[in-house]
Amino acid sequence: MFFQAQPTDLSTKEGRRSVTHLLVKGLLRLLAANFNLRPALNRYLRSDRGWINFSVGIRTENNSIATAVVFQDGRVSVHDQLPPNCDITLIFTHDKSVRKLLSATPTEQIFMLMKSELRTVGNSSHMNLFFFYLSLLLNKKQQKMMRKEKQAQLKKLTAASPRHDLGLSQALQQRKTAPLKGARVDAGDRFLEDPYLSAYSLSDFPRIQDFLNIHFETKAEVCPERPCLITAWHKANGFETDNQGAPWNPALRQAQAFKYLMENRTPLIRKDDLIAGTTTTKEIGVVVYPDSHGTMIWSELLTVPHRNLNPYDVSAETLRLLHHEVFPYYIHRNFKEWVRENYDAPLCQAIDERFAVYFIWKQAALSHTIPDFPKILRLGARGIQAEIKARLETEPLTPDQKAQLAAMDLCLEGLVIYSKNLSRKAAQEAAVEKEPRRKAELETLSRICAQVVAHPARTLAEAVNAVWITWVGLHMENTNAGLSLGRLDQWLQPYFAADMAALHTQEEKAAYLKNAIELTACLIMRCTDHLPLTPDLANWYFGGASSTQAITLGGVTPAGEDAVNDMTYIFLKVTEMLSIRDPNVNARFHPGKNSETYLKRLCEVNLVTAATPSLHNDKAIAAALAEFNYDPADVNNWSATGCVEPTLSGRHIGHTNFQMMNMVAALEMALNNGRHPLMNWKLGPDTGRVETGDFKTFDEFFKAFTTQFRFLIDHSVAYNNMLGKAHQVIRPTPLLSSLIEDCIALGKDLTHGGARYNSSGAACIGLADVTDSLLVIKRLVFDEKRVSFAQLKQAVDRNFENDPALLALVTRKVPLFGSGSDEAVAMADRITKFAHDAYGSHANYRGGKYTVGFWSMSNHVIYGTLSGALPSGKLAGKPFTPGLTPEPNASKNLLDNIRDVARLAPENINNNIAFNVKVVPAAGDDRRRIVDNMFAYVKTFFDLGGMQMQMNVVTSETLKDAMAHPENYRNLLVRISGYNAYFVTLNRDLQLELIARAEYGI
Amino acid sequence: MKKALILEIKGNSLDDGPGIRSVVFFKGCPLSCEWCHNPESKRPQVEIAFDQNECVGCDTCLGICPEGALDRGNPFFIQRERCTLCFKCVEVCPSGALSRVGNPMEVEAIVKRVIKDKPFFDTSGGGVTLSGGEPVMAMDFCAELLSAFKAAGVQTLLETCGLFDFRAFETKLYPLLDLIYFDLKLMDPALHARHCGTANAVILENFRKLSACQSPGNTKILARTPLIPDITDTENNLRALAVFLKECRASKAQLLPYHPLWQEKNRKIGRHDPLGDSGPMKTFLDPGRMARCKAILQEEGITVV
Repeated sequence: MFFQAQPTDLSTKEGRRSVTHLLVKGLLRLLAANFNLRPALNRYLRSDRGWINFSVGIRTENNSIATAVVFQDGRVSVHDQLPPNCDITLIFTHDKSVRKLLSATPTEQIFMLMKSELRTVGNSSHMNLFFFYLSLLLNKKQQKMMRKEKQAQLKKLTAASPRHDLGLSQALQQRKTAPLKGARVDAGDRFLEDPYLSAYSLSDFPRIQDFLNIHFETKAEVCPERPCLITAWHKANGFETDNQGAPWNPALRQAQAFKYLMENRTPLIRKDDLIAGTTTTKEIGVVVYPDSHGTMIWSELLTVPHRNLNPYDVSAETLRLLHHEVFPYYIHRNFKEWVRENYDAPLCQAIDERFAVYFIWKQAALSHTIPDFPKILRLGARGIQAEIKARLETEPLTPDQKAQLAAMDLCLEGLVIYSKNLSRKAAQEAAVEKEPRRKAELETLSRICAQVVAHPARTLAEAVNAVWITWVGLHMENTNAGLSLGRLDQWLQPYFAADMAALHTQEEKAAYLKNAIELTACLIMRCTDHLPLTPDLANWYFGGASSTQAITLGGVTPAGEDAVNDMTYIFLKVTEMLSIRDPNVNARFHPGKNSETYLKRLCEVNLVTAATPSLHNDKAIAAALAEFNYDPADVNNWSATGCVEPTLSGRHIGHTNFQMMNMVAALEMALNNGRHPLMNWKLGPDTGRVETGDFKTFDEFFKAFTTQFRFLIDHSVAYNNMLGKAHQVIRPTPLLSSLIEDCIALGKDLTHGGARYNSSGAACIGLADVTDSLLVIKRLVFDEKRVSFAQLKQAVDRNFENDPALLALVTRKVPLFGSGSDEAVAMADRITKFAHDAYGSHANYRGGKYTVGFWSMSNHVIYGTLSGALPSGKLAGKPFTPGLTPEPNASKNLLDNIRDVARLAPENINNNIAFNVKVVPAAGDDRRRIVDNMFAYVKTFFDLGGMQMQMNVVTSETLKDAMAHPENYRNLLVRISGYNAYFVTLNRDLQLELIARAEYGI
Repeated sequence: MKKALILEIKGNSLDDGPGIRSVVFFKGCPLSCEWCHNPESKRPQVEIAFDQNECVGCDTCLGICPEGALDRGNPFFIQRERCTLCFKCVEVCPSGALSRVGNPMEVEAIVKRVIKDKPFFDTSGGGVTLSGGEPVMAMDFCAELLSAFKAAGVQTLLETCGLFDFRAFETKLYPLLDLIYFDLKLMDPALHARHCGTANAVILENFRKLSACQSPGNTKILARTPLIPDITDTENNLRALAVFLKECRASKAQLLPYHPLWQEKNRKIGRHDPLGDSGPMKTFLDPGRMARCKAILQEEGITVV
């Protein structure tokens, strides 16, 4: 279809060359000369397996610039023509974009890419490699610019707010004092007199305080261990084919490599920890997965330690290993490039690579799920291996099934070997440990790791170690992006209760309780030992996010009874004491089953931490999932994955964040007859021109919107399915499969649909902005005819400049979503229903359905930046609202917001929502009163059917102080949309968006 | 159907009684306190307001006013002697800077608006608060309104200046009220007359009588005093207040700190009072001053809530 072509084709014949062309060529020649003549640089052209050969085209859309640089057998040459099959081509909109790039700061360069001043065609790994080469020449200058950028920003901030207000930062710390006590009312509260555990505070746990300091003070570092071991195994044993030239069964190959990794990785026990094992060899390590998005960091290897947002160190040795040994091996062997090569660079991928419309997470991971921890706790790895063996001995199996089962077995074996190595390591350390208490702890750890994960866990200490060792293994196999921990309160309670029951005196019980809190805190702190690898670009899409490992507390048991127990309250105490961003704590509340005591405790923890847990309504979740006819016991056993998304624990591959979709892009395309304004790309189908009066009724325009939206949905789903196939080939996940119900029974990897339940979940961004825009169009253009559509469109195109009256009219005279207007809620439902049905009409590559949710991580800010003005009055470049939160000026009354969100039809939002509310107590308010007020809002929201709510309990004034004086707020936690982050690690736009959110006094 | 002039119905109030409340503001008051924090509620007639901060300067209104009453040169923008309250300008104003103050509403319409917040009342122990202005000026209307709320299971609270006909109040409203917040501003009759526009004898008498209806330990009446710098927050006034409360066997009182926002509201309805331009009247009440006032009452054995 002609309308899908990118603006120009790749021919370089026409067009006159410009002065800038000569400049660019000159610079490239300089680059070539440097690499050809300087041995120190020339050696970077080589990998451990030979010269890295590739070509880079550089041109403008009209070919005023067209040149190529070719890396061949250790020589760099510059050419006047682009070779026919350039590995990567950088295409600039104009000459001036090229000149701009030359003097741009790294941040500006990222924005040029996001704002489509530059697009790329071809292999992304090669692009990153090329930028790495540029960085070798320019990194001193780049670092200087980064420093300058940071200083300039800080100077501006401190100028705006020269004095810090210690009162504000101290007020937040004060919240940790004067805790409430709880009544013992929950049936599952078997051992806690005061379930709120108000007698305990962080100062009772010096070990945990030390871990927290490490968390806040240690700069993360890229760890080369995993990628080096994995790469080494593959180089020795082959990737596509084995050493005999026979094609590898991908699962078996992965399993062999995994086992090799687990055998050979260093067994480490963090100083003073009660839990053995680490994700990397660094105190806080960044894990590299070169077969997914690992090579995205290639270009930044020299600058990432110096970048302003979330920097991490890369040692010279790590750089050498990654550049020479690891990344070159994976230039083509990653999900994205596999799709490009096997599907001939499809349009759906090209759209993704323009950054403004959608992002498909499968480029990085598909592991948004909850493994079956109870199973490995109950059976041990050996028990699961026995099940696999039994399966291999029954019924006839296909060779694929056999290979798959063997792969699972190998992975579990690897996990057992790793725990044995840890046991040995603990014994060695114990032998030389002088301090008697620690010596005893290490001896205990050695015994624990000899038991788990090979054998069933018998105590809480064994159980938490088993959970952690399994977790390390899962992250060695799968990208640390959204893999989630599930209902740890439910799954650990039996061990806690058994330990307790064996104790007799009050003193013993008190000491054990303290130990249980400490063990739980150790487990949570262990989960902070790794960070995802993120290119600087990601600081704008997922600002400040860690790997969002969700924990789910409370709710009901599979049988539907109140599930709140001792461990629920212990996890809440730990959440309160630590106030850290990750694991992302999600609390379930079942109206009618769970107690008010429990919900009030959730509110108190939310007050103290300022941002967590997020609160879910079990009934609404069940209503949202009703269409799938899941077993009700499994629905009762749901956990949140990643941000907020419901996943049926241990039996569901729901890749609940397969995608971030910018719905506003569809609206902009409908307003422009299929053309996306920022990309200036006639991408979507013709749906009518506003200017010539093509739309006679509102419904005609709504149809145009849904047509564009469907176009984007169809393409994004197609890309997801292609990437799913890539996962089947590149990275099946036998270990995770062995912990997902039915994979063993079916002898099938989860990437092939081995799980009992399969789905893929989208996150749609901008619901309030789209709803409000459509309401404005409907009311002002079609119902009241106060303005013509063309006139409104013109004002939108001009960003409402010189038209304050129209801007005032659209922002103040139309009842918006969140104002209590029935029409607005109906419009939101109409959009969510469309999205639900359109996604739902597709099947994924695993045979599951697509689901849709309305939460945004931090995409509401960046997609806002990449959008123009909207009929709702949102101005060009300004953020959308987070999740599906109503616009701040929809109503001054929070109750209107709560009511409107609560009455959205749950069946259309089966991948959950994020409703972000900022509530602030007045200084000196009584703790009980604040908690009671928060409780009243949440409880009513749930009574009215609301699905999910997340409260930030911090004033804009405090956020402003934190922006200018980050040193006083290292642990200021904020809820973005779905996930938590430290405010001071966020980009400026995101900080301003949080400040601008409506603030309600409580 | 009977109607009352309603200024505003404000939801989600946490400061006008227990729990989450909806507050129905009546327009019109028998007192005329100089510092009234809702000056737009004083007059029992519909008015027009202009908010300079909201105005986007589009001038749409200038052309539409049939009386030529709008003038950018006028500090209040609206020349109220000319204005006939046709509200044509309000209709066309895109920003809401021009607005109508006061709407006649029927009982049913008010109940409908308030009742949608009932789920919040139920979880928080809140309800409806009648405030103003002075709701009791529309005694029969209030009786009807309160009956409707009681029938709907909504907890009721009245905020009153205390100037009403006690016998009518006692029979028509009192049984329908769960709580009464009763303002006692100035104890000295002359000062009361000077600052509040009327004598305080009836008010004090009403408070005395109402207090007599309370059973000990189960009182639904609470005295409230706005602390107006150098007017009501004087030691003399507060000591006299305490004595009076004790006479009435009232043990509790609430103190409301002064805030200067009324000046801005006054301006919107075309008025300016030089009282607000001076010294402590320009700022929020100093917390120290608040604490001193609280201490005085407590010394006298009154619990400040």
